[in-house]
Order: sequence, then structure tokens, then C-alpha cells
Amino acid sequence: MSPSSSRIRNIFEPLEPSYVADLWNSRFGISLSVFLGYLFFRKAQSVWAVNDNCLPRISYEAIGMRIMNLKDRPWKPTTSALQVFGRHATKNVIHLDSINAMIFLEGKTLVIESNCEPGYVVVFYRGEVLGCGLYSHGKLVSQIPKERRMASVVENGACEDQ
Amino acid sequence: MDPLQRYREIIPNFDQFQRVQSLPLPPTARINTLKMDEPRLLERLDEEGIGYKTFSWYPLGLKLDVESPGKLLENLLGYIHIQEELSMVPPLVLGPRPGERVLDLCASPGSKTCQISQMMENKGLIIANEPSLARVTPLRSNCERLGVMNVAITRYDGRNFPNVPFDRVLVDAPCSSEGRERKGPGVMARSNCKRSLDLQALQIDLLKNALRLARSGGVVVYSTCTYAPEENELVVESVLDRARLEKISIPGLKDCPGITDWNGVHLDDDLQLSSRYYPHLNNTGGFYVAKLVKN
Repeated sequence: MSPSSSRIRNIFEPLEPSYVADLWNSRFGISLSVFLGYLFFRKAQSVWAVNDNCLPRISYEAIGMRIMNLKDRPWKPTTSALQVFGRHATKNVIHLDSINAMIFLEGKTLVIESNCEPGYVVVFYRGEVLGCGLYSHGKLVSQIPKERRMASVVENGACEDQ
Repeated sequence: MDPLQRYREIIPNFDQFQRVQSLPLPPTARINTLKMDEPRLLERLDEEGIGYKTFSWYPLGLKLDVESPGKLLENLLGYIHIQEELSMVPPLVLGPRPGERVLDLCASPGSKTCQISQMMENKGLIIANEPSLARVTPLRSNCERLGVMNVAITRYDGRNFPNVPFDRVLVDAPCSSEGRERKGPGVMARSNCKRSLDLQALQIDLLKNALRLARSGGVVVYSTCTYAPEENELVVESVLDRARLEKISIPGLKDCPGITDWNGVHLDDDLQLSSRYYPHLNNTGGFYVAKLVKN
């Protein structure tokens, strides 16, 4: 199936796992085997991953986790997906110290030297993945979603349960 | 009149209940084992000097000694999830196992959905249904932050969810939320018997559909966060021709049996197998939980 067909019809279309795994392998050096056991779907410009299972034929609003956006070049991984798959990355990773980690989590830009290729990187702190950053020309721009930033939680309490 | 007065006869130590009902709730959280194991999480909290106390009845539940638990790094990274203590009960009663197919019929904001996911170790399939598009946003956001990979979200009217068989179904029904008064005062102002009866029609239809969708021998858990018998025992009684109640037992968490008399009417004796949780018994909110096994 052509990866572009779901752009016209706004529905979930199955994607070959190797299509997704190759992209992640090429950018982050993540072993292809990490993506075994998942099903992948494309809806408009987004790619979704779900634990491999028999999905009943009904109408879905979301299938598993949105893991990447194909809208722009290069494709962009979501912070949620990096927190699941990113720890297996062997390249294009940046490790932060505690002060820079907090600045990154506030959604700000850091001036930092790295030998990463320009583009999206996996940002680590104390061996744990914080999320997605955009690196180029000595700058790391935080891609942490607004509702998950350190300073913005007060305005975004809506996700808490009773 | 205080709408709670009509419960004077069924709630033990009613005056103490009323006193506790007006106190704010202590912040609580669940450890998200999809991303972080319990010893490592507790070690982190110790290192950062964050005070906590583990629930006596659930090792993954924590009372936190912080003002804004939502701001904790551990919450932002999805290692913990801010969740009311009693809200962790229905998934435990549901008892999902890895590999099963589970329906969460009224899922948003997804705290229980995500707890079910961690109980299933991210294996099998949970369908989280939420008709309101606005309420799908927090549901999705919570699932993604907590690293959930086995949930698909649908937006059906729960009364007409299509005929797909499930091993277990959770009906955490829309209700008058009287048990949430401690979380956000103001709930009681809208609460009265008439409103409960209006909700009852919806709750019965949801529970009946849940029982239609469960496989024979499958488990259906019905829960609300209200005290109103019209929304609890009277809803469950309407399906006892197609399912049997099973006793709920959670060691360390005090409960009262479901009531069998209300407004001069005797109800099915089996309803005492369901559980009522009151604020003054465990210093929590309020909840009602019934475990049904489909015939």
C-alpha cells in the first residue's frame, strides 16, 4: 500500500513495520528488532503504533500511540515515542546535566556543542529519556509538548483524575 | 436542605461522615509500572526529599506530601500518575490479565484505563471508549504520557457500542459525583434525587450493553463516585437476571456492604456483595463498586 494514500482519506491505514523500523534505524541507530511486536498505522501525516493484536473491525479515534509526524522533512518523532523506543538509540543522542535538563524541560533552547547530525535528537538525563529535541548549529531546541513542560503544569491540570 | 441528609440512615457514623466530606483530599498518585518500577521510583522520591506514604492496601498507590504533585518531574515524565485513591479500586476488582481483550466503556480521563494497561503489562487490547471529542484529548494525553501501547480509543455512544466480545468490561459510569465533593467543592449543589433518577436511565442502559458485550463468564465491573442508591444498587439490581454478583475483598481498605433496603423497598439480598466506600472510613473520596460475572 502506498504510504501516501491515507493523506487523502482520513482513516487508519496499515503500514509495513519495516517502513517505520528503517526510518528509526537510519536516524537513531535503533535495532530493527525493537519494533517487532507492534502494528503500525498511518492516518493523514501521523504514524501510530499499537501492541500487535487482533483489532476488531470498528471505527477508531486513536490506535495506540502517535509516534511520528511525516508532515515535514525530516520526519519528527513524538516525545512519547522517544520515551518508549529512544533508550535503544545509538546515535543522535544528547545527554544533559541537571541544570540544562531542567531548562530543556521548561521548553527552552540550549546552546550546546554536540557531534550529532542536524535534526531531531533523543535527549537524555541521568540515563533516562526526557524527550525530543531539535539540534542544529550548536543549539538544542526543546520539543517537549506544552502540557508536559516544567513550568506550565499549573495551567494544564485538566488531565488529572478525581 | 443538605442533599446528603437523605443518606443519614444508610451511612454509618453520619456526623463524622459529614465532617470529613467537607475536608480537602490529600494528594495521591499511582506508580506507573509501564515506565518505572516501584523500588526505583521510591528511591527517586527519597533522593529528592519528597514525602510519601504507600497505601496500606495497594503498594503502587502513594499519598504524597507535596502541594502541587502535578508539577513533579516524575509526573511529567509519566513515572507516576495523579489519581484519587479510590479510583484505583475498580481496575483491581476488574482483574485484567495480559493478553485479554478489555473494554473501558466510559474511559476519559483514562486513569483507570492506564492502570488496566499496566496490569496487562501493555499486552492484549483495551478499547477505551469516550463519546465526547473534548474528553478524548485528556484520555489520549494520559495514555501517551504513561507509555501505554495497548489502548485503542473509540467514540461510540456506550449504549450502542458495536457487538464485539470482551473478556472484561469496566463501566465507570457518568454519575452525580457526590463522592468527589472533597476534590472540588460545588458538586453537591447540583445533586438531588431527581438528577440521580435521570442518570439512572443512562447507567442502566450502559450496564446492560456492557453485559451484552462481555463473553459468557466474563467480568463486568460497575462503579460510580456517588452515594445515591438510585445510581448504584438500583442500577445493578436491574441486571441480576443476566449476571451474578461476586464479593469484593480488598484487604486493608474498609468498605460497607451494598444496601438492601431503600425508601421502604427491599432490594435483592445479593446487593450486599457490592461495596460502598465512604470518606470517613479511609480518608478518601466516596465510591461504589460492584463486580458482576455474566451468566
